[in-house]
Amino acid sequence: MSARRTQNRLAFWFLLPSAVVLLGVVAYPFFFNVYISLTNWNMFHFRNPEIIGLTHYFRLFAEEDFYRIFGKTIAWTAINLVFHFTLGLGAALLLNRKLPGRNIYRALLILPWAMPQYISALTWRGMFNVEYGAVNLILGKIGIGAVPWFTNEFWAFMAPVITNIWLGFPFIMVIALGGLQSIPKELYEAARIDGAGPVRQFYSITLPMLKPVLLPALVLGTIWTFNNLNVMWLVTDQGLPADKTHILVTYVYKAAFQYYRYGYAAAFSVFIFLVLVFIVKGYNRAAREEAY
Amino acid sequence: MVPAMNKLPRPNICRRSIFILIVLSMIGGLLSCGRIDRSRSVIVWEQMDPQEQIFFDQHVAEFQLRHPEYADFTIERVHYRTEDLQTQFQTAALAYGGPNLVYGPADKIGPYSIMGLLMPVEELLPQSEIDRFDQVALPILDGHVWGLPDQIGNHLTLVANKGLVSEIATDTDTWIKQLAELTVDEDGDGRPEQYGLVFNLLEPFWLVPWLGGFGGWVMNDESWPTLDSPAMVGALTFLSDLKQSKVVPLECDYPLADTIFKEGRAAYIINGPWSWEGYRSAGIDIQVASIPLVSATGLWPSPMTSAKCYSINRYMDEATRQCTADLLKWLTGTEVQIALAKGLSVQPSDLLAGQDPGIVNDEVQLASREQIARGRLMPIVPEMRAVWDAMRPSYQSVMNGELSPEDAAPAMQKRATTMIERMRE
Repeated sequence: MSARRTQNRLAFWFLLPSAVVLLGVVAYPFFFNVYISLTNWNMFHFRNPEIIGLTHYFRLFAEEDFYRIFGKTIAWTAINLVFHFTLGLGAALLLNRKLPGRNIYRALLILPWAMPQYISALTWRGMFNVEYGAVNLILGKIGIGAVPWFTNEFWAFMAPVITNIWLGFPFIMVIALGGLQSIPKELYEAARIDGAGPVRQFYSITLPMLKPVLLPALVLGTIWTFNNLNVMWLVTDQGLPADKTHILVTYVYKAAFQYYRYGYAAAFSVFIFLVLVFIVKGYNRAAREEAY
Repeated sequence: MVPAMNKLPRPNICRRSIFILIVLSMIGGLLSCGRIDRSRSVIVWEQMDPQEQIFFDQHVAEFQLRHPEYADFTIERVHYRTEDLQTQFQTAALAYGGPNLVYGPADKIGPYSIMGLLMPVEELLPQSEIDRFDQVALPILDGHVWGLPDQIGNHLTLVANKGLVSEIATDTDTWIKQLAELTVDEDGDGRPEQYGLVFNLLEPFWLVPWLGGFGGWVMNDESWPTLDSPAMVGALTFLSDLKQSKVVPLECDYPLADTIFKEGRAAYIINGPWSWEGYRSAGIDIQVASIPLVSATGLWPSPMTSAKCYSINRYMDEATRQCTADLLKWLTGTEVQIALAKGLSVQPSDLLAGQDPGIVNDEVQLASREQIARGRLMPIVPEMRAVWDAMRPSYQSVMNGELSPEDAAPAMQKRATTMIERMRE
């Protein structure tokens, strides 16, 4: 019993520094944000905010823009995740085979992930220019007319989606590749002996064996994509066309740093946090059910 | 329980003390990471153009040479993009930190001063230092001066490529005909090889001169938007027609306009003094002129003018106060302003510098002064943010052909008033 207490104490002292850091950089800002969301903190009450209760939360749900932007955020996250997952897994399956120049392909495919997001986003913005952008020039060469990337609401949404798919699939690819290399070859040999084809092997061996690594990657991918300010903000040049292309985080950024509506933006952030908690809970439940 | 753990001896007092010491020193280390000794460093956050940055560094080096009493001070310049500078400064000042001086266009000064982040200049420098400036250039709000400018202008002008334009048009009727002649699509693919005019078609800053040219303005004296006006409809119609006539690129943001002009593939660009040196460096022989008079109204377009100012952080370290004051005096002083005006073709805000013969007789400076005289000062009130953001979407929709100018003007007004009401909540 005494040894157990000693061991616990030892663990306590080891954990204390990181616990203090976590309290400082996670817990304190979180609760401070909740506090701000309950105040009238804005430009005019910068040093003397007053508690106004849930006013900002009611205002949030009363605004028409909120539902449009929330819908766009869900679409943005879902489309990105589907493509990150399918392209990333597909590329990993290809690279897991014996291919000539495999290491070169691997390096090239990781490149988008290795590049600073900021640079990539601005480069893609230039590439989407209707007259001089590389994308429309290539489309023109194959007989497709110029796409109005930033003057049409649909295409203006697709431009950052394409950019983010390009930026994000290498992450899933790297994770999946690591997972694929740890699957014992014997399982495939046994499956082949039992007469299982490549598709059956994929669904019965590869996918279940990858789940433990892919599920956390998908959780992370969801959070990152949902909160991806850079790509949406920079590619659409703050919401082109006509301020129509926003997701929740770009809207919050604008409210906080362009309109100085700190209380309102904080309430919005709390809502984003709750949505993400809900999504992560869903993933966890799915993972638990799978485990049982 | 792991059996081996049973053999662990009880930690004695000495070992426990070591643990506590390690933990405390780690916590202390972490806390001290956040505390930077600012008593011997003067930090300037800026959003200068590359050319301005070079001048700044030279002037700071000269300041350090002339002020040996500040030998143990470091003067550091940190560059940010315009929006980043605003975000960073707000965040830092909220935590009572940030630079000593923040440099940028005066339009951000309104919010900063209302939030209490700035120190009025009169608290740092004597009145005589303020009196040497052109009073029009000083950012004054609620009776206080919130920054000292090293230049005035920041205004749009017409810039012509003299290699392509023989005579600059002075009214819009003549100009539009000239633009059509200067737009050349040699291979007939619908993408002209040469444009008559390029400018940023996305930002309402480029709409404002025309709003003035049709007799309107963005807000009244009570800082309330005045966007729903016949003048706005006229300005939007004029620009939309310009785009329809294909004398400007279909989608043209700032970098694209800048690149096309630097490549010598545009006869005119509408841009400000910050860009002129870059065009000269690119080998373009430029001539600066006023934006042409609007033939329909007989009025000159009125670009917004503003000063670029150094503002003082209220929460700077007291030990750096004197060095900051002297640096501010130097950076906005007559000598530096003359050098800036001659090197960058900007207009000095210092009255003495403005009388320098090299500036008074300079052709570009003359044209620039003429344009400033036809412009109007940008309001520095925070409501201007809402006005910009209200104008941008409707302006872009008009240029995309999705909204008529008649519908855009009331939409701008409604959005601006809604945003201002929300800001004031």
